[in-house]
Parts: sequence; structure tokens; C-alpha cells
Amino acid sequence: MFSKYPRKKKLLYILVILVFLVLETPLIMMANTSEPFVLGMPFFLFWNLLWWFIGTALFLIAYLTNWGSKPMKEESK
Amino acid sequence: MTVGVLIIAAFMIIPLVVGFMAASKSVNTTEDFFIQGRGMGAVAVFFTVAATWWSSFAFLGSNATFYTSGPVYLTALAWNLLFGFMYYWVGKRVWYLGKRFNYITPSDLIGDFYNNEKLRLVVAAISLIFTIPYLQIQLTGGAYLIEVASGGVIPFWLAALVFYFIIVIYVWVGGIRAVAWTDIIYGALLFFGMLFAGIYISQNLGGPTGLFKSLLETSPEHLTLPGPQGTSGFGQWFSLFIVTAIGAFMGPQIWLRMYAVKSGKLFNLMPFLLGFAAIAYMGSVLTGFSGVLLEPNVANADQILPIMLTKYAPFALASLILAAGAAAAMSTANSQIHAVSTIMTLDIYQRYANPNASQEKIVKVGRISLVVFSLIAYVLALTVPGVLVTIGIAALAGTAQLIVPTIGAISWRKSHPTAAMWGLIGGVVTVLLITFVPAFSEPLGFHAGVWGLLVNTILFIWISLVLKRTDAEVVNRFDDARYDYNKEYHPELVEDSVETR
Repeated sequence: MFSKYPRKKKLLYILVILVFLVLETPLIMMANTSEPFVLGMPFFLFWNLLWWFIGTALFLIAYLTNWGSKPMKEESK
Repeated sequence: MTVGVLIIAAFMIIPLVVGFMAASKSVNTTEDFFIQGRGMGAVAVFFTVAATWWSSFAFLGSNATFYTSGPVYLTALAWNLLFGFMYYWVGKRVWYLGKRFNYITPSDLIGDFYNNEKLRLVVAAISLIFTIPYLQIQLTGGAYLIEVASGGVIPFWLAALVFYFIIVIYVWVGGIRAVAWTDIIYGALLFFGMLFAGIYISQNLGGPTGLFKSLLETSPEHLTLPGPQGTSGFGQWFSLFIVTAIGAFMGPQIWLRMYAVKSGKLFNLMPFLLGFAAIAYMGSVLTGFSGVLLEPNVANADQILPIMLTKYAPFALASLILAAGAAAAMSTANSQIHAVSTIMTLDIYQRYANPNASQEKIVKVGRISLVVFSLIAYVLALTVPGVLVTIGIAALAGTAQLIVPTIGAISWRKSHPTAAMWGLIGGVVTVLLITFVPAFSEPLGFHAGVWGLLVNTILFIWISLVLKRTDAEVVNRFDDARYDYNKEYHPELVEDSVETR
């Protein structure tokens, strides 16, 4: 099934999975430090916000590109 | 003092007015009362989903957790992304099947796909039983905030009573439409209230950067996992992410909000909107951490936000933000009350007691069960003490188990009813054992809900692979639905191949 996905859609899903991997696997413990401060924030907070931002931006791109699928046909009423 | 009471009064009258406005648009049919005739528009859907999903767990619990346990609640940023993603991937498919086969409750979909009456009852029971403790937490939290916001003029029992009264009236007259419309107000209040409270309070410490710098000097363990008590490490980080997002997503109140949506396109946008809204948690970071420096000795951490506001903000502002907190609780409670009454009416009353009931009769029973459930919740809020976070998460861990048969139903033709049943039983029993039997307490630091989902998934996949479904007609009906879904929304998947069906 996945082999049929257009490249754009695959890339989108891979990036979304990457965001979750960075934030919710033991990888997160590598960012578990309060220093250095970035943009006035402790590093751990900054790191989480950064990836949250990337994830949210990805979802916006996903919406704008119809989640990588071909444009939808008119919705059936 | 009077300002506080005025704000509360406005806060109670506005939803009533909105509720009656919504009621003037409603028609007396089952679909309209329970899922707004599948015609809910974008703005209402976003706000009602966001406000329903953000409860007093988010509003009080987040501040309390930053205050006591360090940064573990930051995992909320990821769970909001996960919740949004599920709303797109699972929600859109649930919505499509709901529209095609006329589902209104979670049991409708699962019972229909698995073609099994017992499973239908188990799903209804899990939805009802695990929603009620979570509901009661909202009520306790909300009424408590009103009590503080009014400066004690409105006692807890009265605050709770008045609230239920108002919720019951507007849900009674307007059904889910009234809930959604009032949620627009509640949602906006909640979002800005959380953010603004944090920004305002942190000014006492020289703004966010000043606050973080002072914290680094006095209590640096608040800035990294596993927090000052040393208990909130990766296990809890991951567990909260999984259990909160999936548990809330599978709650019947969110489920109804998948069926109610008018246009499939909206599901594509929801992950972005729901993900973006998570920025409000920065307010909780600031409030909770300011509390560590300014009020280090608060015994009940759930009270940290009200305490900080009443001490460090002007009374009117404090009241407004606390009212926003009550909004968080009430916007979840109203939807939950509506959802449990929907299940009671359609899955129990209509299916087993009176299958030939007329539309008017069903809506009437829906309204009566609304009153009954509100009453149960009110009594619980008065008699069961405190903010029961343990029971709250256990409740979410229970509803979360429904994700396994749901994903099976929307994506895998081999999904077997016996597998769904034993998966659910295994999952729920695991959750209960780990939660209530001390000897099993949280193996490897992961919450009961995570283990429940693991047991559930393994049983589900294993039994589905071993057994074979004999009801080809039902399986094919869903295959056709999936095929048509892909044809409509993912045309590239079906374009050149009919044999993948």
C-alpha cells in the first residue's frame, strides 16, 4: 500500500514520524540539559519548542498540499 | 469582590443566551440533537474539539506539574501533535464510515464492523464507565475555580449546582449545537487565559528569561528530567504522551465530534490547528515555574494557579482568568455529559429497551439521561474529594484501549471480533491490575495505560491472524467503503489497480 504513495506524501509522513521520534523516544534525553540558554530559554524547553514548531509547520504544509495526495474530487453531498 | 461575582454572572448568562440561540436553529431529530445532522462547520468543530480536549487536566494539572515535577509536562507539545494527527488519520476515516453507514455512537462503528453484539456492549460500557471519573474531575476543578474567583462568595456546592443547571438547560434545548457554540467562547477564553496568566505572573520575576535564570540558580532540577523529585523521567514522559492523547481521543465526546463534521476537508486542517494551540502551554510553564520561586510551599499543587493569580494579579483579572479555567472544565464536562447521555440513549435504550422508539421519544430520553448523568456527576463532585489525578489518568488509560479495535476496523480486513474482544479485555484488565494492585505498580516506569495498549495490541493482532472471519458480506461491505474512501481522498492509491481491493 505504501509503495503507491506519491513521493511528496512519503516525505511528509517520514518527517512527521521523525518529529515524534525526536520528541518521544529516548533520543529526547540527549537534549535533557538546562544550558546553554537559547533565545532566553533553557535548552530543554527550547529543544521541545523547536520540534513542536517543526511539527506544526509540517502540518500546515500538509494541509496546503492536501497531505501529499492528488487534489480531492468535489465532495459528495 | 463584586467585580468577581459580576464576571462569574456574565460567564454563566452568556452560555445560556448562546444555547438558546443555538436551540432556535435545531430540529427535533436524533441526528440533529446528537451530532448536529453531520453539518458542523469549521470554526465550531475546531473550537469544540479543542475546548473539549483541553480540560481542567490541562488548565490546572499543567501548572501543578511544572510546579512539582519539572518539565515532564512539556511532552504535551508532542501529545497535541499526536492528537491532531489522529484526528486526521483516524478521525477522517471514522467520519467517512459514519456518514456512509449512519453511525452516531462509537459502538455503532465497532459493533457494525465486527458484527458482534457483545462487543458493542463492551465498547458502550468502556465508554460510559471510564468517562464518568474523568467527568467528575472536571466538575470538581471547575466549581473550585468559581469558588475562588468569587472570593468565596459562591461556595463550592452552589457553584457546582449552578453550573450543572446551566449546562443541563442549554444542552437540553440545543443539543450538540449548543455545546459547540458555547465551546467557541470557552475555547477562546481558555487559550488566552492560560497564556496571559503566565506572561502576567512572570513579570514579577523580570519576564520569562529572568524567571528561567533565577530558576537555574535556585532550583536547576526543575529545568530537566526527571525533575526535583526524581520521579518524572522518560517513562512518565512517554506514558503521558501516549495515554493522554489516545485516551482523550477515544473518549465518546471526541468521537461524536468526528461524526458531526460537515466536510472531509476540515480533517486535513485540524492537525495544524490543534498542534498550534499547544503554544498556550507556555503560559503554564511560566505560571508553574514562577510558583516555584514565589510560592514554594503550596501544599496542594493543583491550587498553584489560583493562588498565584489572587496574590499577584489584580482581582478582576484574576477572576477573569479563573473563569477561563472553569471554562476549561465546563467545556469538557458539557461535552462529556452530552456524550454519555447519547450512548445511554442510543446504545442501551433504543437498541435494547425500545427499538421502535420515535425520533421525538429518543430525543426526550436523551434529555432525561442528560439530567440523570449531570446529577450523578454533581453528587460525585460533592462526595469524592479532591482532584483525582490518579483516577483521571486511569480513566484515560481505559478509553485509550478502544484505539486498537478502531484502527483495526478502519484499516485491516482480517480484524476479528474475538481478537477485538480479548484485546479489549486484556487491555482493560492490565490497566486495572497495574493501577490498583501495588505489587504490579508501573513496570519499568511506564504507566498502566501503555502496558494495557501493548497487551491489547498483541492479543488483537495474534488472534486476528489465527482466526478467520466467516461473515464475508460484512468484510466486503467495509472493503468497498475503504476503496471508495481512497478513491475520493487518495485517488493515487486506487488509480491503476482494482486488485488491491
